[in-house]
Amino acid sequence: MADGDISDNEPTTRTLLRRVLDTEAPRTPRRRQSTRAGVQRTPLGTPFSMRLRSQTKTTAGRQPHRARSIGRLAHIQTRGQLKEQTPRTLLENILLTAPESSMVMPESAVKPVPAPQVVQVVQFSRRESSPGSLELQLPELNAPTTLAPGRLTSGRRKKRLRLSEFQQGMDQELPLSQGPVTEPPGNTGASSLSSSLNLTFATPLLPQSVQRPGLARRPPTRRAVDVGIFLQDLQDTSVATAFPGDRTPVATLPTDTVLEDTQPFSQPLIGRSPSVHHSLPYPSLSAERTVSRRTRSSGPGLQNNSPGKPAQLLAGKAEEVDALAMRFPNTSSGTSGVDGLEPLLGGVGEEVEERMEESMSLSEVKEATGAQASARAEEPEAHTEVAEAEGSWGAIEEKELEGSSGDKDTEGRTARPELASSTPEFPRARQLEFLEPAPPTSTAVLRQDPYKMGLSHYAKLFSFYAKMPMEKKALEMVEKCLDKYFQRLCDDLDVFAAHAGRKTVRLEDLELLMRRQGLVTDRVSLHVLVEQHLPLEYRQLLIPCAFSGNTVFPAQ
Amino acid sequence: MDFKKRLKAAVHYTVGCLCEEVASDKEVQLSRQTIAAISEVTFRQCESFAKDLEMFARHAKRSTINTEDVKLLARRSNSLLKYITEKSEEFNVERKTKKKKKLEDENKDSLEPAEAGGVGSEN
Repeated sequence: MADGDISDNEPTTRTLLRRVLDTEAPRTPRRRQSTRAGVQRTPLGTPFSMRLRSQTKTTAGRQPHRARSIGRLAHIQTRGQLKEQTPRTLLENILLTAPESSMVMPESAVKPVPAPQVVQVVQFSRRESSPGSLELQLPELNAPTTLAPGRLTSGRRKKRLRLSEFQQGMDQELPLSQGPVTEPPGNTGASSLSSSLNLTFATPLLPQSVQRPGLARRPPTRRAVDVGIFLQDLQDTSVATAFPGDRTPVATLPTDTVLEDTQPFSQPLIGRSPSVHHSLPYPSLSAERTVSRRTRSSGPGLQNNSPGKPAQLLAGKAEEVDALAMRFPNTSSGTSGVDGLEPLLGGVGEEVEERMEESMSLSEVKEATGAQASARAEEPEAHTEVAEAEGSWGAIEEKELEGSSGDKDTEGRTARPELASSTPEFPRARQLEFLEPAPPTSTAVLRQDPYKMGLSHYAKLFSFYAKMPMEKKALEMVEKCLDKYFQRLCDDLDVFAAHAGRKTVRLEDLELLMRRQGLVTDRVSLHVLVEQHLPLEYRQLLIPCAFSGNTVFPAQ
Repeated sequence: MDFKKRLKAAVHYTVGCLCEEVASDKEVQLSRQTIAAISEVTFRQCESFAKDLEMFARHAKRSTINTEDVKLLARRSNSLLKYITEKSEEFNVERKTKKKKKLEDENKDSLEPAEAGGVGSEN
């Protein structure tokens, strides 16, 4: 009944307003209007006051939360009755209390409460308010919001209208934006709530994610590992290589002879030639990879230039990476403990490319790391998978060595970093899954896989950053140096761990190593390096203050 | 700072003496600048060694530098490492024999029969 009254009164209100505006627009002072207002008041006053009363009744009956709004209405009511019913006051009262529907949408089932409801919306701008009650109001609010813009006169009104507009806009955008937005991190609740169109008050949080779905962090897409292709590649390489036990003699001899021999490279040329052959079957793949690295590493600006390339390269890379990926876990499974450490070192060493490049103190290499680090830092996750994979790979090297390696035994440690290094295209999480199926399936694979194979990748990178054409022999020398470097690196790590009476390599060992290398000094701590060179996500994993969650106690 | 200078001077003197020996041995002459350079390098290397040794000891959660730390420091050069390990073993053996002798002496002085049995079990 009240609704009927109000709906009947709607046109009268509007016509009344129009009348008021037309007649009273030129004249501003209130006093002169009093008589006229008085004349008009009598037909208006009663319906107005009646409406007010009905509104208050309905509001009071509807929701118990409306103390304020009721109070406001009562205030208005009293104001309206006590003051002179000037057109201005009349207008104000109408604008404050009248519902926001109009003749345009008469069938919107406008109830007398939307206005106070809007007020309530302003007040209860939280999610804790009962969604059920809000649910009721939302469809009503939708209707009035379409007309809201025409009514902005008073400040209070403005606030309400804006919010309702805003809500409407948000609601409209929600169905559009729910598709791309899969898992916005800070707005999981908001998205879930908004999906059911229940949420009206979490608006401050929502619109940013709604209006900019591109900023949402998506989980990295994963590509399946094709074990068959990998095994095939492995067999091909094993057939190509003609020497089963090549690795161990090469590994053991130089460490003794090189140090004391003034001409360290007199011996191993014979041993190195097969490795050259190894690299031959994979020139295209490594070239692809380096090209892709080039496109990736040359900066975020080039990301746009190589949209087509990564797609092509990924296919080839996946194959090569598969080949590499399985190779190393095979070796790790075949060997065990410290005995197998040496043959594994060639592959394990790849993991520390960053550190290697830093410590080599080559300006180009430093630029490379800088470029890579900056590229990683700047690329948002939603960009090319390739870029992300590289960033994750680089980060994996640090993280795997420093953080997670402490949690596993040496074999696991050698296997995982190998996986990390040899699978630059794979997202990190998938590598964790990959490790489990890898060892059981690769028991029968040969162990003599060319360790140099992995280093050729670094050599290519080196040649790129040298900005000059390089001889093949020079590249071989670079590979040799890298090999020795990585061997020494892992030896040191092992020795440091043993020195502390441990069997697992931990973060402290690595920090000690970096201190010896001169990367970590009294001025520059490890955390500073982590912040400088690793993507932001790893900061909170590696730096205790970041992952402590604001509970930091001084060491005792 | 003063101590440092004095230390440097002492090192320089020692290096000079050694160089003279070597020079007379190989019948080669060494200029003063060379000796100065060698002594400077030795001094800086000693500083670096000291820092590393301290780091190693701290890494092993000790407050005293051990022979283990020294061996870790010398592991780069195989011959040096061998030399050091041999020397350390000799030293250990010497220490053990000395300890045993000391114990034996003390035991003979105080309680012969019980200690003789104990010493016998040790041996």
